[in-house]
This record gives sequence, C-alpha cells and structure tokens, in this order.
Amino acid sequence: MSQSEPFLEMRDIVKWFDDVRANAGISLDVGRGQIVGLLGENGSGKSTLMKILFGMIPPDGGGIIFKGRELCEHTPGDAIAAGIGMIHQHFMLVDAMTVAENVMLGWRAAGRWLRRGAVGHALRETSARYGLDLDPDAEVGRLPLGRRQRVEILKAILRGADLFVLDEPTSNLSPPEVSALLEVMRRLRTEGKSIIFISHKLHEVLEICDDIVVLRDGKAVGRMPAAAATKAELARLMVGRDVSEPFQRAERPPGPAMLALANIRLPAGEGSVGLHDINLSVASGEVLALAGVDGNGQAELAETIAGMRRPSGGRILIDGVDATRCGVAERVAAGLAYIPADRSQMSLVQAMTVAENLVLRDVRSPPYAHRGWLNRAAQISRAGGLIREFDIRAPGTGAAAQKLSGGNQQKIVVAREVGRAPRVLVALQATWGLDPVATRFVLDRVLELRAYGAAVLYISSELEEVLAIGDRIGVLFAGRLAGVLPRAEATAARIGLLMAGGAEPSPGMAA
Amino acid sequence: MTTAAEGARLQLPALMQRVALTQESLIRAALAVAAALVCTAVLIALSGKDPVIAYLALFSGAFGSIDRVAFALNKATPYLLAGIGIALCFRAKIINIGGEGQIAIGGLGATWAALALPVAHPTAAIALALAAAMAGGALWAGVATIIHLSRRVHEVLVTLLLNFIALLIIGEALHGSLGEVGAGFPQSPLLPATAWLPKLWPRTPLHIGFAIAVVAAVGAYVLLWRTTFGFAIRVAGASRPAALYAGLSVPSITITVMLLAGALAGLAGGVEVLGVHYRLIEGFSYGFGFNAVAIALLGALQPLALIPAALFLGFLEAGALAMQRQVGVPSSLVAVIEGLTMLFILAAMASAERKPQ
Repeated sequence: MSQSEPFLEMRDIVKWFDDVRANAGISLDVGRGQIVGLLGENGSGKSTLMKILFGMIPPDGGGIIFKGRELCEHTPGDAIAAGIGMIHQHFMLVDAMTVAENVMLGWRAAGRWLRRGAVGHALRETSARYGLDLDPDAEVGRLPLGRRQRVEILKAILRGADLFVLDEPTSNLSPPEVSALLEVMRRLRTEGKSIIFISHKLHEVLEICDDIVVLRDGKAVGRMPAAAATKAELARLMVGRDVSEPFQRAERPPGPAMLALANIRLPAGEGSVGLHDINLSVASGEVLALAGVDGNGQAELAETIAGMRRPSGGRILIDGVDATRCGVAERVAAGLAYIPADRSQMSLVQAMTVAENLVLRDVRSPPYAHRGWLNRAAQISRAGGLIREFDIRAPGTGAAAQKLSGGNQQKIVVAREVGRAPRVLVALQATWGLDPVATRFVLDRVLELRAYGAAVLYISSELEEVLAIGDRIGVLFAGRLAGVLPRAEATAARIGLLMAGGAEPSPGMAA
Repeated sequence: MTTAAEGARLQLPALMQRVALTQESLIRAALAVAAALVCTAVLIALSGKDPVIAYLALFSGAFGSIDRVAFALNKATPYLLAGIGIALCFRAKIINIGGEGQIAIGGLGATWAALALPVAHPTAAIALALAAAMAGGALWAGVATIIHLSRRVHEVLVTLLLNFIALLIIGEALHGSLGEVGAGFPQSPLLPATAWLPKLWPRTPLHIGFAIAVVAAVGAYVLLWRTTFGFAIRVAGASRPAALYAGLSVPSITITVMLLAGALAGLAGGVEVLGVHYRLIEGFSYGFGFNAVAIALLGALQPLALIPAALFLGFLEAGALAMQRQVGVPSSLVAVIEGLTMLFILAAMASAERKPQ
C-alpha cells in the first residue's frame, strides 16, 4: 500500500455554514488499494468533507484531485462517473423491487430496455467475485439489512467505482454481518479498490484500516498507520483529552422489583416478529441489559412497556402497580421514562424548538401548563436548567431541534427522560449513531440513574455496551427472551451465540 | 431581558421564520404579483381589450371608494373564517378540503334558524342564527370525521365527496320547503331584519363579519401557540410517532380540530347569508371553500398571516369583478387572473422555503 502516488488527494478543504467553520483546511490522501479510516466526533466535519468529495455541496476553498484529474464544481453524477461510490448510512433502495431492478435503476449502461436476464448474469458474476452472495431476483424489502448494504456496494461496483465511501456502514448490522462486511472490504482492497471507512467503532477501524485519519473541530489532527494506533490514543485525539477512564460502577445489592412483565404477548405481523410470553423483572438499582440483532422484537417490547402498543395478553407492573391498561401519559406520571431509538420521527419533533422538545412529554402537566394554558416562562427556565446540566450545545432554547448535531439531539432526549428523575427507564438503542464521547455521556447518565435506585431496561444491539452496562444480561431473539445471565456469567461468546439464535440451556430463563 | 427575547423566539417556529416579512420575501411577493399581472395582460390583450385600461378598472374597483373597500372586506371575510379552520387542520396534518360543504351547510343552518325560530331581540336573533351556522358546519365536518376515523377512509376523499352532497342538500331545500314561492330562482324568502348583521361602518356594505373573522384569527393564534391543545396540534402535525410517544391521542385531536374547522366554516357561511344576501341563494358560496384552502396556504398556516392573505384575495376579486363590469373582460378571465396570481405567489413562497438547503 504505497503512499507514493495518491489516488485521491483532497487539499486544504474549507467549508463554512453561516458562521460555523465545518472544515478548516482538511487534507486527505487515499492511495490505490488502501482503506483509510476517518474518525471524529459528531460535528467534527467528516460528513461535510464526504459530501464535498461526492459533489453534494461545494467547498469554499481547497481542491480535489482524483485519479490525476481535478474534480471541481462536480455533481454527485460526475462523482459516480469519475468512479466514486458512496454507500450512505440510510440505504437508497426501493424495497418493493428486486436486487436486479434496484441495480438497473438510474443506471445508463443497463440500457433503455429492462434486460433482466443480462443484468442478472452480470450481477451474479460480480457478486461471486466479491463474495457478496446476492440473488438478483430477491426482493430487497425481504433482505436483512446486511444484504441490502451489499446491494448498495454491488451497485457502486457495477457503476465502475474505484473509491468507496462507507458512512457508518456497521451501525445497523449484527456482529456476524459486520464480520461479513469487513470480509467484503478486504476483497475490494485485493481487487485494487480504495475505501474511506467512517465509523465510531474503534475496534472495527483498527481491524480493517491501513491508515487512520482523525478529525477534530474541522481539522485533521492526526494520521497514523492502524498497526501503530491504540484505542486510547485515537479516543484522545478525537476529543483532545483523555476519555478512557473506566466506568464508575459501584456494585450494589438490588432493591425491590420496580418493573415487572408477566407473559406479555403481542401478535406478529406487518414486519414485526411480535412478542411471545415475555417474563422479566428489573429491580431498583439494577440494569437489565438486553442484547439482540435489530428486528427481534426490541422496539415492540420497549413500546409495549412505554404504553404505545397494547399487548394482547399479560401484565405490566410499575413499582408494584398494574399499569397494563394505562396510557402513555399515565405511565410517565407513574415514573416511567423511555428513550426511543428514532430521533428523526419519534423522540424529537425536529421542527420544534429545543425548549419545546425538552418538555415534549411533560408539557400538559404543571408547572408547564395550567388549565390548558402553556406557561412558557416555566418551559424556558426548565430548558435552560437542563441545557446547563446536560451540557447541550444549542444556539438557544428557541432553536429548532434539527439544527443540532446528533449527539446534542440525543442529549435533549436523555435530559428530558433522565432529568425527570424516573423510577424506571427503558432505553432502546440509546447510543445509536453517537460518537464515543456522546455514547459515554449517555451510559454515564444511565449508571447515575441506577445509583439513585432506578430500574433500567437497556436494550441495544451493541454487544460491547450491553456487557459493559448490565447487571444481568439477556437476549431478545425472534420476539422471545432467550435466557438471562448474571453479569459474571455473561461472556461475549455466550451472548453472541444467543443473539444468532443458538440455544442456550439456561438456568436463568425466568428473569 | 433574555427571557423575554427567548420567549419571543419560542413562538416563532421555523416555518414562520422562513416566511417572516423580510425584505427578500417582500421582493419575492412583489415579483410574483408583477409576473402574474404581465401574464394576465397578455391574455387580456388576446381577448381584444386594453390591459392598461383593464388594470386601472381593477385598481379603482378594489380601492376606488369606501363602498368598494367595504365590498372587498366583505369578500375577504368568509375566506378568512373558513381558512383559519383549514389552517388548524393542515397544521395537524389533517387535509380537510371540505370547507366548501361546511360553509354551505352553515349558511343553511343560519337561514333555517332565522326563519324558523323568530326572536324579537336582534342580538339574540343574530347569536342564535350564527350558533346554528356553526353547529351546521361542525355537524358536516363531524360526519366526515366519523367516516374517516371509523372506516379509515382518507380524509381528503371524505371531505371532498361530502362537499357535493352538501351542495345538493342546499339545492333540495331551496327547491322545497325552504324556497321562496314564486321567486323563479332557487332562493329562500328574505330573512327577518332582526337577524341581519349590523354594519361595522354605517352607510357602507361593511358588516361586522370582518371583525368577527379578525377576532377568530387572533383566537386561533393564541390557541396554537399558548395552549396545550395547540402544542398537541403542532406535535401531531409534525410527526405521528412523536405524538404517540408524547402520549397524545391523534383521533381526539382529529375530532376536535375538525369540529373547530367545521364550526368556523359554518360561521363563514352564516356571516355571508346574514351580512350580505339576507337570504339563502343557491350557489351563494360557490368556490369559497377552495379559496379558503388557498389563503391558508398563502398565509403559510399562520393564523395572523391569513388576514393579509384573505385581504389580498378579497381586493383582487372585488377589483376583478369591477374590471369585468366596466371593461367587459370575460368572467372566465377573471378566474384566470385570480388563479395565476395565487399560483405565482405560492411558487415564490415554495422556492423561498427550499432555498436554505
């Protein structure tokens, strides 16, 4: 992997958004057949840099040379034609179409007529060559997320991409899918393709990359070979200070049960696996962490507890009181907090202000409202307090939530739910899309809540996180709770096996 | 006072900031109007009339005398009233296009109350007739809501189809029991003078309806930004999952906001009957419901911004009618002028919204 002849050269890229400098003169070289990891906190300028490379936004300064030719005032179409393939975090696929149809979509070389046979043939060949294992006739909507991502990669390969930009490609994948993706990336490298790999997961970056570039505050603050880098060093470069101190995690005897589910059932259907006789109980001062690959009933379980779905059977007790028939607001009043996974649609109203979002679930009760009238002074003083306490970086309480970075948006959600001092917290993928610092912030707040004696149900597909935070650890698979192990017995291997659907003769079935 | 400043910002959501009266947006609006006038001038010239003379007639027809201004304000009144309710529905992402039918049923309600329930006291008679108008409009919106919620039929379809039924009911009533015997035209008898709306400005046609509409706009503004129900409307409109998560009931928001919109549309119909015609006439509110949708969009769903939007349409329509009478521009062209102007302005607003990206 010689550096002598850069394949891609980005020189002194500068980009301003109003008076915020997103890129302050970033240079980035990528050699042919090289995988370069791009690390940085949310808002460090990674996405901006990649959007400039792909021609989605123009830079205010600097230049790009790709394969010896200058890319200037280019569009995404030009970027694709030049050989750049962008794999977005959210897939740009039509679910109702087959793999072959998705590949043909908007592809000039496919011709004016839909030649499914010829395209299918080319597709099978390429798929085999890169180990993608894709069936051209499979409907995309029925494929697991890992496969859909490979459809995107296949599209880029067939469109002649030599440089792949993978933007947080592993955040939706299960551990086996991640390994498979890394294998595909190795094949691409062997075939002489170059890759820019954006990820928050340091172990993945260390495993797959040749070189690692760290961005902070719109500047490249370091470049090193992966072989010479350590997690602690990378984390320090990303934030500019040491963040590797271990969790403050005091062992404490669990108190009385605060949240109990008995035989909770939810019918399957509409892309949901449903829930099948879920029994669990979480005690005061305890974190029950549930691992599992997305789509195994996590959202259904969390929303059923939060009161957003009606179970077809079973009972839910909050602090010993039957809440099965209570609505969402009654459960909030009973001390139940919920951090959902989806910030774009559910846990935040993007177009509404920071202050309004900070009281989204409390606004109808005093002091924020009185007899149906809003008390805006109370809202704003509450918002100001939470912004200080949770260090939310926002232009003001009146700014729209969508103006904030992902990490700060999640801080709003955490501040609202944790700041209410709840007795029970349900968290679903609470660190999704967050950088290590923001992730750490969320985990610390959850543990703080545990120290105050709240019961926490922490649901995540991040095995590492689940193992780090749980007092007991279980797995959701196909809508069933597959064994709950005490912290000491839960190893990555055992939990990983359960996540993949392997049977585990477990004494801890009744949690 | 940072708190006061932040308070002011809190009530300015992104949408309002985007359409706030900046110099740029005023220039945009002026350009849109100019473009519409130029396009229409070509059409007027093609119809064999002089565009300059036609536009002079339009201008003097809109602003030429106190009576003409009063006429334009009366025109704007039902659009504003019905538009406020539609804006509230759209805010909650409930696409209610049933204003047309709700207005007509409101007019029918006011007429029936004024004729069937004779009250000697004028204030009581007016209040009773307007209450009947609001009840009629709310009833019609309620029927749509019941079908929408219970049978899961899309609200656009239900409200649209009920418009036709409402207009047929009016025709049926005027050809039957409510019609004036021997009038030769489907209309009701003249209403008792006790039920006529008083004038806002003596010796002009301007009735108190316009004042009622402005009060309603202010009320809708307060509802939207100062009450928990307004908060619920805005959350439900922005995202249904967020509404569910916030513990709001979308069906109950739908019912309330639809009944409110129906009552306002009914009031629009009642005000038109009691303030302008003093009787129910077939087709008295033709096109009102769709004009109300247009001004709701023109005012960017901001209750207070609907006032200038309704005035704009009222004056445009009043002027265009004068132009038709004086210069002989065909009446279909009048509709074209109105349509083109709205189209240009909405296009200018949409491009202003897209620009920040």
